[in-house]
Amino acid sequence: MKPSRIAWFFASLLVACGFVMLWQYLSDARLVSPVFLPGPDRAWAALVRGITQGELGARWLGTIERMIYGWLLASFAGIVIGAFIGSSERARAYVGPMLELIRPLPASAVVPLAISLLGLSEAMVLTVIGFGALWPMLLSTVHGFAAVEPRLYEVSRALGLPQWKVILKIALPSSMPDIVAGMRLALTVSLILTVIGEMLASREGLGSHILISARSFRSADLFAGVILLGVTGYVSAMALTLAESRLLRWRESH
Amino acid sequence: MNKAYEASNPGGPHAAVTAQTGAPVLAAKGVHITLGGRKILQDIDLTIGEGEFVCVVGASGCGKTTLLRLLAGLYQPSEGSIRYRDKEMLKPRQDVAIIFQDYGKALLPWRTARGNVALALEAIGAPRATRDARIEELLAKVGLPGEADKYPNQMSGGMQQRLQIARSLAQNPSVLLMDEPFGALDAMTRQGLQDEVLSIARSTGATSFFVTHDLEEAIYLGDRVVGLLANPGRVAITLDVKLPRPRDQLTTREDPEFLRLRRELFDFIKKAEA
Repeated sequence: MKPSRIAWFFASLLVACGFVMLWQYLSDARLVSPVFLPGPDRAWAALVRGITQGELGARWLGTIERMIYGWLLASFAGIVIGAFIGSSERARAYVGPMLELIRPLPASAVVPLAISLLGLSEAMVLTVIGFGALWPMLLSTVHGFAAVEPRLYEVSRALGLPQWKVILKIALPSSMPDIVAGMRLALTVSLILTVIGEMLASREGLGSHILISARSFRSADLFAGVILLGVTGYVSAMALTLAESRLLRWRESH
Repeated sequence: MNKAYEASNPGGPHAAVTAQTGAPVLAAKGVHITLGGRKILQDIDLTIGEGEFVCVVGASGCGKTTLLRLLAGLYQPSEGSIRYRDKEMLKPRQDVAIIFQDYGKALLPWRTARGNVALALEAIGAPRATRDARIEELLAKVGLPGEADKYPNQMSGGMQQRLQIARSLAQNPSVLLMDEPFGALDAMTRQGLQDEVLSIARSTGATSFFVTHDLEEAIYLGDRVVGLLANPGRVAITLDVKLPRPRDQLTTREDPEFLRLRRELFDFIKKAEA
């Protein structure tokens, strides 16, 4: 790492510390009742207690599992369907307007429908996550496949590559930057919908943990859950950045 | 000069072009093509013999590239036929390789030099065990030894074009179709690659079809230079280049015969534009 990057890292760390200290100061000054706003000390204590003695660890794992399953489901479906639509101009013309119509629908709006069809079940939560995260995935894959350099298709024809090899060796890697961008968006959507789904269907997870803590005025437990959600979002985004830089190494120009 | 022009062009602009050295490899017979409602090429008769090096010149928009695409099997003629060794060319063949002008678009940016050459080996189904050795050999042949792990965007334009040549050679082509391959390169790089292509054509015995707008390049490389006229594109002049081989950037270009041909071709182009 370059010295300037290390300096920036410490500067950002300092900002985070300052924020925690401000939080501590505000709660100590009792500007807000401690029933609603615990200090970082109490939130941290609740987090440690919850993981070592309570169910918090299991709930956290439940949330991570749901998020990843839903995300993988959406990613897989998005890449397969997106590849079909994206590689055919005709399919794009037919399906494009409908996709644009469904895309801006908030995924939470389909929750009542999902509940009426699937009940308050695990399958319902996964369906909602998968459905919501599918759109960013689908649209970016379609874009990636539509933007493949036409010259490369001619190269493939000249080399006599069969259609499935063209998709696997040319179109898919060429669309990878768009696909990864879509997966990043889908991951954020997955986390949001996981929490919503858990809250609505009372599945064992951070969403229900936060909701129940709030209802029983255990604000420290609530904050412990929120902190874990923040950590989950941060770590998963970092992991994806790492995977991206390995997968798309060829994009670095020199 | 005018006499020579008449002599080499006895039948006027629509004369059949049949002079050749070996058995015919690629032949266009009475080819017309209309693309998007516009007649691009009209009445093209061209036979390219085994091991022959044919260059095509003409102003931009005269259908040079379209002719190359027809010979490659990427386009089908509206009338007439393209034949490869007496078989009709209905789609591209693996032993007919194309080298595109825009190397930046024709290479896979996500694959290293090694990976780009490997694409052709994967396409022809070369045994896995022999691939690495073959890639090293091909990269060395085009002057890129030790560059196997570079990505195209880490290479200069000339190196990228060498890489594309290496990939086309991996197909074991009996015909090389080159579409203004050096058009975007600087003069020094260009000359180096001209000699490279000549030595490759010589060592592999590949039949070559080379599109260019550079008249001197055409004479320097070719056994025969075909000049096209535009609207619609048609064969207007054919020059046999009887310059000794191997050719040399200095002595060949100073040869009186080279200068005579150059003059003849320039006169033709000037007349065509007038």
